Amino acid sequence: MNETPNTNKADPRRRGLAGAKMSRAFKYILLGVALLAAIAPVYWMVTISLKTEVDQFASPPRWFHFAPTLEHYYDAFFTRSFAKYLTTSLTVAGLSTICAVTLGTLAAYGLARFKLRGKLDQRLSLWILSTRMFPPIVTAVPLFLMMRDLRLLNTIGSLVIVYTALNLPFVVWMMRGFFRELPRELEEAAMVDGDSRLGALFRVILPLVTPGLAATAVFCLIVSWNEFLLALVMTQTDASMTLPVGIAGRVTQYEIKWGVMSAAGVVAMFPILAFAMAVQRYLVRGLSLGAVKG
Amino acid sequence: MIRNNKSPSRPRRETALPYLLIAPTVAVLLALSIYPLFYAIRISLQTGTGDAARWSLANFARLASDEFFLEALAHTFIYAVVALTFEFLLGLGLAVLLDRPLRGRAFFRSALLIPMMLPPVVVGVVWRLMLNSDFGAVNGTLKSVGINTESLTWTASPLLALGSVIAVDIWQWTPFMFLVLLAGLQAIPQEPHEAAIVDGSSAWQTFRHVTLPLLKPAILIALLLRTMDLLRVFDQIFILTEGGPGFSTETVSLYIYRTAFRFFDFGYAAAMSFVLLLLTNVISVGYIRLLQKQETA
Repeated sequence: MNETPNTNKADPRRRGLAGAKMSRAFKYILLGVALLAAIAPVYWMVTISLKTEVDQFASPPRWFHFAPTLEHYYDAFFTRSFAKYLTTSLTVAGLSTICAVTLGTLAAYGLARFKLRGKLDQRLSLWILSTRMFPPIVTAVPLFLMMRDLRLLNTIGSLVIVYTALNLPFVVWMMRGFFRELPRELEEAAMVDGDSRLGALFRVILPLVTPGLAATAVFCLIVSWNEFLLALVMTQTDASMTLPVGIAGRVTQYEIKWGVMSAAGVVAMFPILAFAMAVQRYLVRGLSLGAVKG
Repeated sequence: MIRNNKSPSRPRRETALPYLLIAPTVAVLLALSIYPLFYAIRISLQTGTGDAARWSLANFARLASDEFFLEALAHTFIYAVVALTFEFLLGLGLAVLLDRPLRGRAFFRSALLIPMMLPPVVVGVVWRLMLNSDFGAVNGTLKSVGINTESLTWTASPLLALGSVIAVDIWQWTPFMFLVLLAGLQAIPQEPHEAAIVDGSSAWQTFRHVTLPLLKPAILIALLLRTMDLLRVFDQIFILTEGGPGFSTETVSLYIYRTAFRFFDFGYAAAMSFVLLLLTNVISVGYIRLLQKQETA
């Protein structure tokens, strides 16, 4: 499958028009298969969330013909606690993103614009990045014990703190990159006009990096919203658990309510898909961050 | 109040400013990334708790003789190698398919990324629904075309469970490979390509001898990032199988989780997590060396 596609790289003049058409049709077939594989399972979950139990367990499976119902959404968000988990997830993701973006952007500016003694700026940047390399389970155990000692287990605050730290290295590196793309003369001109350094940052520089700042914030929201392991370890009560932990709790129970689980899954999925589409332009940079620029 | 920035005698507070800007971030990371690491070192070197705690290497000594740990390590390796191979090959194929202008390219590019964007927990839910042996869509579809699905219990079967969770990983993360490799392909200049074709190279030869070498840095980066994630895999497996049935899909991260939060043996869990950390570091340093060699060559 990997060799075939690049037949299209041959010059159509050499291969003939018929050949080019054939290879295009073949391309679309392969892409269609890939698309189906990527989408169908997700679509299936959406249908399950909208099906009555009779339709859920029908054989053969009903992909299209079923009587849609919203009962599972009602059940999940009104009679069970999913509305609470949703609020917790939103709060934690929002607050931790604000903290991480604020602290990280200031640090990024400091690291991007000042040469510190002994290359400290470069060393600090690398050190900050390296803290992101730990597998989460490595810090999960001590963080749990620390939070237990501080009596912060099962609080939203503990997750906000931990997610802020989780996102900080990422924010620093993203924003450092954006700042470096701007010419220094911008601030210098503003400072000649009488602005202080920080005034220049807020009045001149930040407006210019707003798209990048927004993309960075969206990435933080995605990470915080999706995070599972640390939330699982630190929040076990209905009042404090996030949506992923709530869903996981239902999934691994003895009797699984498929409709409720799917409805919660759909609600957990949609904000992320919307966000992801919004930051597509920055996706590669965000995902390969550090490795590309380091 | 005109300040000349290039003058050597800058105002004093300007030199303090960068430190003030950086300090909060450094403080947060020291408290929540570095301190926990030392905390983990301490508990891994102790047995007993509270006043009864004493220093010992018992937790590390236990590692080598713990069959469960070794088995979890083996699962992790199998998982990482198989998933990485498939994700790379499929991702490269898709990237090549969408490298050249094509009607609908932007749509395909976005739509194919969906699995990667989903919360891992949702991926777990999706595939529990798909792979359930009685009511899942996979077996339902197979049955409707006349295939006997009695022995195909996927995540519930000790034989198929590891393969099933690997397949789910491939489903979710092939888009990542695709995305990074596509970006790599698009950054390659066209001229060497065209020159090769003018010289009469076949499409495959051009790909093999011109495109692939130029793509190597992007390939190494994609492999490095995926490898690090694969070695720490936890979320999807936890939702899909919780390491079961039996021990058949238990990876190192799951075993550490179980040791710490089911058996409350935090010291031993910490000791194992250092093995995982060491492993991840050694492998990523290997990749980075390759990458640097690439850049200087």
